[in-house]
Amino acid sequence: MSNNSANILDIKNIEVMYDNVILALHDVSLKVPKGKVVALLGANGAGKSTTLKAVSTMLASERGKVTKGSINYDGNSIEKQNPSQMVGLGMVQVLEGRRCFGHLTVEENIISGAYSRKLSKGDIDQELEKIYTYFLRLKERRKSQAAFTSGGEQQMIAVARAMMAKPKMLLLDEPTMGLAPQLVAEIFNIVKELNQKEGVSILLAEQNTNIALKNSDYGYIIETGKVMLEGTAESLLNNDKVKELYLGISKKGRKNFRDVLKEESLKKKIN
Amino acid sequence: MANELLFFMEVLVGGLLAGTMYSLVALGFVLIFKASATFNFSQGAMVFFSVLAFCGFMQDFNIPFVLAFILAALLMVVVGLCTERLVLRPLMNASEDTVLMATIGLGYVLEGLAQAAWGVEVRRLDLGIGDFPVPWIADNLKLFISALDITAGLVAAIMIIGLFLLFKYTKIGLGLRAVADDAGAASSIGIPLKHIMLLVWSAAGVVALVAGCMWGARAGVQFALVDLALKALPVLIIGGFSSIPGAIIGGLIIGAVEKILEVYIGPFFGGAIEGWAPYVLAIFFLLYRPEGLFGEKIIRRV
Repeated sequence: MSNNSANILDIKNIEVMYDNVILALHDVSLKVPKGKVVALLGANGAGKSTTLKAVSTMLASERGKVTKGSINYDGNSIEKQNPSQMVGLGMVQVLEGRRCFGHLTVEENIISGAYSRKLSKGDIDQELEKIYTYFLRLKERRKSQAAFTSGGEQQMIAVARAMMAKPKMLLLDEPTMGLAPQLVAEIFNIVKELNQKEGVSILLAEQNTNIALKNSDYGYIIETGKVMLEGTAESLLNNDKVKELYLGISKKGRKNFRDVLKEESLKKKIN
Repeated sequence: MANELLFFMEVLVGGLLAGTMYSLVALGFVLIFKASATFNFSQGAMVFFSVLAFCGFMQDFNIPFVLAFILAALLMVVVGLCTERLVLRPLMNASEDTVLMATIGLGYVLEGLAQAAWGVEVRRLDLGIGDFPVPWIADNLKLFISALDITAGLVAAIMIIGLFLLFKYTKIGLGLRAVADDAGAASSIGIPLKHIMLLVWSAAGVVALVAGCMWGARAGVQFALVDLALKALPVLIIGGFSSIPGAIIGGLIIGAVEKILEVYIGPFFGGAIEGWAPYVLAIFFLLYRPEGLFGEKIIRRV
């Protein structure tokens, strides 16, 4: 079962359709090396969430389907799996918008992440203490009802809950959405720490290109369901087009890679 | 004067205990509402189906009481299994309204199956508990209270405590509450929805069986049980759809209020206001406290 190749996740040319008619992904290929953080960048509707859901097999519950290509996790195809099986295999998705269990306490939320594991009460307490070392803030609020905690705290709950499942790989969908800059930095520090100390591989969907790349090893940029550019985080941060289109240092009013390509082909024709 | 007070007490206690019978029925609704966010219209049919099967096992096959009860409970687990597999799973992505409609259909199927299998005549169910005043209480406290009512009260109390402990302190209870809050998020962290659904529908089936036994012993095991179960609707509106304590308190309130109104105000309306008084009460709750006494408030952070 286990696999010695360097990539924990290997997506090859997938196409995804919703409701058999809406084409959400045309052709997405990406790899996540073991123990690395990979950023998936793009605007709203580019297909970031769809890619993550294709991997966690949560697409099925939204009438989506991978119609072409293949996804391999830890050396095996995920085609026949369902979300709870994927969690059992160590792949956990933190959904967009945090999605805490509002009526449960903070601690109950976190413990619910261990549902798929067979742990004794003592083991759970031990795991809980370990998780709290990363999320100090949550320990103070452990007895509060999750719905009454702040946005940043809810994001931490969602990540902590996922960590309780002891994942080998985390899929984070826009963990910084709607958070103040300070909290964004705090969340990324925690993510980085989890990656380094727990050895969790991470695929991160983000709109916040700058901070995401600064905390990743490798990055992919997708637009309208297609990978437009990929490279090491450093090379992307220094790429002029990325700077222009995604880091807000725009000059010419071009909005995405499609515009850039059009311009370039236009130039070629003229020349 | 003392006599009048005694009479009032008798009406009140009788009403409260009769209310626990409503509570028992309402419990089944609450279980399913918590997990599926749907009012299960087939709950009444489940009550009828389960208790008719129970009677059938005892009377047509001469199976002893306890064994017949266990068989009927198992049958309800099978019904839960089939419901999950044939109705809920195909409708997994459908709206709550669609599931609601499906439960109405499921109700008809269960009613039909029950009558096809066991016949349409009214059956008598003898639990060995008489529906007449307990002599000891009548002698010492001068209250005429039915033994069946007292039994129903005790059974309801035991089931409430059991379910409360199950939800609050077990892993499966935590999973169930998580699914009730956000099924998508629950499935993303590996809580298997189908197990939870199966568990909830089976539990609701067994609760229906217990409620059916109590009602069947009083009113006979007959088709009218289906409609009687709808009396749980005002109970749920008052208690809150998602609250187990709410189902209990709601049942007690309905039981007490309808008896008191019937006795003291009924004569002005020509009697028989028991049938509709609970619904009037429910309307007031809908107007002034729509989530019920114990229902989970919709929490919105500002």
